[in-house]
Amino acid sequence: MVFAHGFGCDQNMWRFVAPAFEDRYRTVLFDHIGAGGSDPAAFDAVRYAVLDGYADDVVAICRAVSVTGGVFVGHSVSAMIGILAYKKAPELFESLILICPSPRYLDDTDYVGGFSAAQVEELLDFLDDNQIGWSQAMAPAIMAHADRPELGEELTDSFCRMDPAIAKRFARTTFLSDNRADLADVQARCLVIQCAEDILAPAEVGAYMHRHLPNSTLAILDTTGHCPNLSAPKETIAAIEAFL
Amino acid sequence: MSGRTLGPETEDLEDLFENAPCGYASALPNGRISKVNHTLSTWLGYASGDLVGRRFLDLLTIAGKVYYETHFAPLLRIKGFFHEVALDLLKADGTVLPVLVNAVVRKDGDGSARFIRITVFNASERRRYERQLRDLNQALEARVAERTRALHRAWRLSPDLLVVADTEGCLRSVNAAWAGLLGREAPDLIGRSVFDFTHPEDVAATKAAFAGIVTAPLVTPHEFRLRHADGSYRRFSWTGAFEDGEVYATGRHTTAEHEQAAALARAEEALRQSQKLEAVGQLTGGVAHDFNNLLTIIRSSVDFLRRPDLPEERRRRYMDAVSDTVDRAAKLTGQLLAFARRQALNPEAFDVGERLRSVGEMLDTVTGARIRVVAEIPDAPCRVRADVSQFETALVNMAVNARDAMDGQGVLTLRLERAGTLPPIRGHAAAPGPFASVSLTDTGGGIAPEQIDRIFEPFFTTKEIGKGTGLGLSQVFGFAKQSGGDVAVESEVGRGTTFRLYLPMLQGGAGEEPVPECKDEGFPTGDGQRVLVVEDNIEVGRFATQILEDFGYRTTWSANAEDALETLGDDGAGFDVVFSDVMMPGMGGIALARILRSRMPGLPVLLASGYSHVLAQDGAGGFEVLHKPYSADQLGRILGRMAPRRS
Repeated sequence: MVFAHGFGCDQNMWRFVAPAFEDRYRTVLFDHIGAGGSDPAAFDAVRYAVLDGYADDVVAICRAVSVTGGVFVGHSVSAMIGILAYKKAPELFESLILICPSPRYLDDTDYVGGFSAAQVEELLDFLDDNQIGWSQAMAPAIMAHADRPELGEELTDSFCRMDPAIAKRFARTTFLSDNRADLADVQARCLVIQCAEDILAPAEVGAYMHRHLPNSTLAILDTTGHCPNLSAPKETIAAIEAFL
Repeated sequence: MSGRTLGPETEDLEDLFENAPCGYASALPNGRISKVNHTLSTWLGYASGDLVGRRFLDLLTIAGKVYYETHFAPLLRIKGFFHEVALDLLKADGTVLPVLVNAVVRKDGDGSARFIRITVFNASERRRYERQLRDLNQALEARVAERTRALHRAWRLSPDLLVVADTEGCLRSVNAAWAGLLGREAPDLIGRSVFDFTHPEDVAATKAAFAGIVTAPLVTPHEFRLRHADGSYRRFSWTGAFEDGEVYATGRHTTAEHEQAAALARAEEALRQSQKLEAVGQLTGGVAHDFNNLLTIIRSSVDFLRRPDLPEERRRRYMDAVSDTVDRAAKLTGQLLAFARRQALNPEAFDVGERLRSVGEMLDTVTGARIRVVAEIPDAPCRVRADVSQFETALVNMAVNARDAMDGQGVLTLRLERAGTLPPIRGHAAAPGPFASVSLTDTGGGIAPEQIDRIFEPFFTTKEIGKGTGLGLSQVFGFAKQSGGDVAVESEVGRGTTFRLYLPMLQGGAGEEPVPECKDEGFPTGDGQRVLVVEDNIEVGRFATQILEDFGYRTTWSANAEDALETLGDDGAGFDVVFSDVMMPGMGGIALARILRSRMPGLPVLLASGYSHVLAQDGAGGFEVLHKPYSADQLGRILGRMAPRRS
């Protein structure tokens, strides 16, 4: 069972879910490039400008640890990365667990992604200006001699570490991606886990996923936010177990 | 709350909550706001009641929402708090309030979240200076980048070799000029020692030159050769400095300069030679004229000597006349040959007076019979260091100029004086002396003032085509300057011109002392010693063997060096001395002498030469040389010394 984290966090986000499957599965957890303990020096702007680059990494990781016929659990953008990886190497996975997935964040004709063009533009502008990212990057420097030096450490060495420069590019890649066309010929069994109230992946997106994945089940969890694996781990585990 | 009466403490706490200088909000586990203080509501432009029940997320901008959901909400779930997260809150009027947000999850006894406590700091000011700081930082980075680009451009575009190396010469960074000048790209150079490419002969000197660079920059350029990728060597002139543990050095390509300098030297040499030939040409006419006079004397003397009835006293007088005339002719040709010979510029110390006396006669031949040469040369030695041949050439050139200025008639005064200082000449400041001043004053027409500044220019001439090349006075000027002196000219139209050549005088006893003449060594008679005469000219050979027989030697005559070697065999065949001409068909006298010296070191060799370019260039190689024309007396004395009497 391979767990892939989404944008903004690292493999720590599976801490409440992955242990529940360790008795029956060999669990594989990893950090995407730029996140957690990965080597930022390995980042290649061209390779990772599209989600395919991340999908190639998933395939390589799975092959390195000899995964075949496994279960892929992907959160957020990693749900789509998992679908792409499956299409590159179908022998890897029998089942895909897609938590809060979205094939496209930007609204389109007859498609609700949750973000208007103006909003995506604002988000991209923000990525360029990056007030939050900057504050985080500067935090250790600003607070190094403050009364509470642990704060700087917390922001940089937290459970959700991400290289700010790579995070920025990852966000751009994520929010500009459109993988709707990749859904149709996915033959693996798919579970789409949708939160009741999620601004990043609204209910319409979950329904769309379910409708376009030929062999899929939709589970709607009564929880808010974008991370049911953290906000509602028990329900998430239950939904996965029920599916498997 | 409104129905109850509050105690003072509660009232105080209530006031603190509502009106503290930071925003407070509580949210339920599902993120909906349950309580918000007056400060936060006011900041955002809402009544407190308007916010209750709304999601905290709804107060964020779109980017804030995304980041909150992807970054901070997970943090809150995993750790139970987050601190000082920079976010923008949307105000009621649509503008934004920059804030720093702290959040902590409050849990009940069994660990379930009860509510989220949110603290909000107004970060308007802080964000403003953060932005300023960032802008400043960006501006600074841009400036640094610009400077770095400029420096990099200079590094990249420099036509000189630039290098950063360690103190051992290991190359750490090189610029693009290395590829252009040495055919070596950076990857082939980095990490290697510069001495891998240095000419083996230059390694030691280069190490020595750079040895002190840690303490003092290398300011005086050090030149050494580096090997091009094609195997050839290029010369570079290096300066450098040591800073922060590394050597920074610049190498200027000087191969072309050396080639130019060599070409210039060749051109100068050629110019000198043509200037000299010009002077020789001037001399030849005079010498030929004088020679004809001398030959006339000899001819008529011989005619008289043929008379059978000539009294003994008259006979001796004619014989003396012939002998004296031959001496004069020999001296003349000797001077002309010495003058014309090609030789490298070779400054040496000599006595100007002595040299003037010895070339004075030659100047006579230049000026011709109708010009009287008056020499005023003091007896006191006046030594200078200069090239003798150039000095003589300069004298001839000045004499020729005087002759032409006088139209072949007048008085030329040659004067040597000591000058305390070098006077200011043509704008050059005076220089402290002493100087030897050699002046030639003519009684000619003088030089027009408008021409006087140009007379030292090469190829400047007032003479007709074919009469002068305009190189003469430029040679005088060049020689004077090269020797650390100068040449001055004073002229008055209609009265005459004085050229004054200044040469720095040697102080004290510097330079070689004149070698005392060897004393004669007794009467030249032989004692039956055997002499092998090697001479290709039949008359000279016959004459030489005749003289030697008369002196009491036994002679054998070979017509060339090859025959002589055969005659001598392996052991010298009993000969006591070999007397050989230098210029002969075949190997010649010098080669013969060398062979004999190696094969039979005990057999002395005497060479006879009129003029040989081999002797002029290489010297006599340590052999005894008798210069033609020689007298029987000279031959006898030298042989007497070289082949001692047997008894």
